[in-house]
Amino acid sequence: MTISRRDLFKAGLAAGAALSVPSLLRAQTAVAADKTVRMALENLSVFDPVATTAGISQTHALAIYDTLFSADSQSQPHPQMVGNWGVSDDKKTYTFELRDGLGWHDGTPVTAADCVASIRRWAQVGSGGQILMSRASDISKKDDRTFVISLKEPLGALPSILAFEGPFIMREKDAGLPPTEQVTANIGSGPFKFNHDLAKPGASFTYDRNEKYVPRKEPPDGMAGGKTVYVDRVVWDIGVLADPQTSVAALQTGEIDFLYRPPIDLLPLIESDPNLKLEALNRAGVDMTLRMNCLQAPFNSVKARQALLHLVDQEAVLRAAYGNPQYFKPVTSMFGNTAAVTNDENTGWFKPGGDPEKAKQLFKEAGYAGEKIVILQATDWAEQSNASQVVAAKLREIGVNAELAPSDWGGLVSRRSKRDSVDNGGWSIFITDQSEATRANVFTDISLAMNGEKAWYGWPKNDEYEALRAKWLTLETLDERKALAREMQKLWWDYVPEVPLGQNIVPSAYSKTLTGLIPATLPLMWNMQKA
Amino acid sequence: MGVYILRRLVSTIAVMAMVGIFIFLLLRLAPGDPAAVIAGPTATEQMVANIREELGLNEPLPVQFVHWASDVLRGNFGASVFTGVPVLQLLSQRLEPTISLSVLTMILSVTVGVSFGVLAAWRSGGFVDRALATFSAIGYSVPVFVIGYILIYFFAIQTRWLPVQGYTSINQGVAPWFLHLILPTVTLSVPYIAFIARITRGSMLEVLSEDYMRTAAAKGASPFAMLFHHALKNAGVPILTVIGISFAYMIGGVVLTETVFNVPGIGRLVVDAIKNRDYPIIQTVLVLISGLYVLINLLVDLAYTLIDPRIRY
Repeated sequence: MTISRRDLFKAGLAAGAALSVPSLLRAQTAVAADKTVRMALENLSVFDPVATTAGISQTHALAIYDTLFSADSQSQPHPQMVGNWGVSDDKKTYTFELRDGLGWHDGTPVTAADCVASIRRWAQVGSGGQILMSRASDISKKDDRTFVISLKEPLGALPSILAFEGPFIMREKDAGLPPTEQVTANIGSGPFKFNHDLAKPGASFTYDRNEKYVPRKEPPDGMAGGKTVYVDRVVWDIGVLADPQTSVAALQTGEIDFLYRPPIDLLPLIESDPNLKLEALNRAGVDMTLRMNCLQAPFNSVKARQALLHLVDQEAVLRAAYGNPQYFKPVTSMFGNTAAVTNDENTGWFKPGGDPEKAKQLFKEAGYAGEKIVILQATDWAEQSNASQVVAAKLREIGVNAELAPSDWGGLVSRRSKRDSVDNGGWSIFITDQSEATRANVFTDISLAMNGEKAWYGWPKNDEYEALRAKWLTLETLDERKALAREMQKLWWDYVPEVPLGQNIVPSAYSKTLTGLIPATLPLMWNMQKA
Repeated sequence: MGVYILRRLVSTIAVMAMVGIFIFLLLRLAPGDPAAVIAGPTATEQMVANIREELGLNEPLPVQFVHWASDVLRGNFGASVFTGVPVLQLLSQRLEPTISLSVLTMILSVTVGVSFGVLAAWRSGGFVDRALATFSAIGYSVPVFVIGYILIYFFAIQTRWLPVQGYTSINQGVAPWFLHLILPTVTLSVPYIAFIARITRGSMLEVLSEDYMRTAAAKGASPFAMLFHHALKNAGVPILTVIGISFAYMIGGVVLTETVFNVPGIGRLVVDAIKNRDYPIIQTVLVLISGLYVLINLLVDLAYTLIDPRIRY
């Protein structure tokens, strides 16, 4: 058989047409997505923000619910659902009146009874709420738009508690559920409505603009101010995060618009793309910390805990965990690097590279005799796993019998609740991280408590420190808090309930067609616009 | 035949019961706790304990097993402990992408794999045979995700012809459905094409050397008739076995492919469920996959009789 030039030409045309079909079809089938923003966010598995402390559930709640107060970018509380409010002369009675125009997504108005029920439900589990309930003599509605919180003693931090950790306001019938039973209605009064029909758990969730939402007049600032929505729909694409390479490729081709925490090793690829932008929206980032079991040897000895504080080389840990020094910093204050109350009290222990000799001496003074130290290692969380290995290596270098206990994060979370010795399935050390923004909230951040059995994993106990923490709640000015913060930090680093491993700030990546993104500790969906 | 099928079905029930017990114990004895995952990273111990109580995880294992088994026997597979969505509803949402991907992959793999195998056997020892042997070796040994990344780079990022990821239901149009499935299907098909091609080639070579093939050639049968009418049918039993096994094993490849291309199918569902210790989802999916595996094996065994009339049960 011979092939003529004409046949070849025809074949070429046919091949070209065939190859162009996918892109033509794709153009025809592209969703009319001008006002739809696709955000790649982590898996949302619990919808009820009272049932969990997971950040993604708070992000979901910020979209569909509203709050009584909100914190601005300087961590100052501002009214959000509340219009007028005031406190009695004896500072024991707070009266709150809801602002105009608040309505549920089902069309009914928000009432004071909804607020009272929401506060009561949240207060059963939220640490700030428990403080409130311990001091409240009554929380009740005065009329449909007004409710009152009566206190047994003044609580100057009340607006801050309601702003930082305060309840997302739900309908009275939803808030009537016990906090262990999850609310599944997803009906709030916030700027977005949850689209139940398009919900695909584990794959994607869709939020539509609440056209009846009345934003506050003030400009947006952190979580506070006007929550104006300029887009029709926001889709959370959860599945795309399962593969980091794919998530960045999807951002490059415009299939998603926003990637909250892009993989660090692919940041250069994003930087080189002229259509994409990198920006640290969560400017406080996350702090990695090492918790020790203060109930068991050797860390029931303050000397052993101090030894670890001197031993840790934050630079080495951070480099192993996050790689690029551009995105991490050491931390020496118990409040992190960015809080208004951050200070340098009692931080003389910090030395770049650590001080292994000092650590060795302190372990000796603690009476350490070669007991096994078990470090819980989460192998499905690369940063944590790498940091655990560095800490284990540093301990072995000074002759400590350190052993890694690998499991997935779920297994680690189960085991860390065991208070027993390592011979009975307990643990000595685990590493975790948390948003640095919460470190300034002495009254709500449970990791800052040192009340023994009631404290967070590790169970540190220091009554003197706890007395100072209680005093914090009565303070009203920032200067008073700054002074108290120094006193607390003095005790904190003497006792060493945990060891700081450093701060990590990962920028978010997004398409340049997106504007108006608000810097905050969680991704916020209001105020953004899509060109 | 009827007795054979009945016997196989009875043994299937016994196998499923064993699988159920094994899966239940394996999940419960593994470290990890859905209550801790639900409560979140900075939850208090009391919060976790309350959730455990609510989920019934404090009950003794035999009691939990009896509850689960009796629910399953009544057709109640439970609900996700996280979202509260019934497992069957979650499965129905995820079934279409996985079935679409699996069926397209099997069609492509069988069509191309068998054709390659026949071609290689026909041109045994020649350039085509060597080229296909090289392709088979590479295709079978390169991991699925590497093939996926290469295809994404060329066909999605560089040319923008095809989408990087995602899935569109066939209800929203055949074109977008098909476009989203091209890259995952090709990716997942490569190792199966390689595998099927190798088996087909070997099986065909045996048959092509038989006397009746020479007879057919002597009687003037065309190469097409010889290969696809006489030879392929007689080489069919091992090929069919391989296709059956491939289909049953495909779930492993589907998990990786669904992850790389963000296809929201059963594979992704079960991986997420394992991470979260979402017991009802894991148990249901694993029991159903085991059942599917057994069923496919049964169907393959029955299909032998159609290909080779000498086989009787």
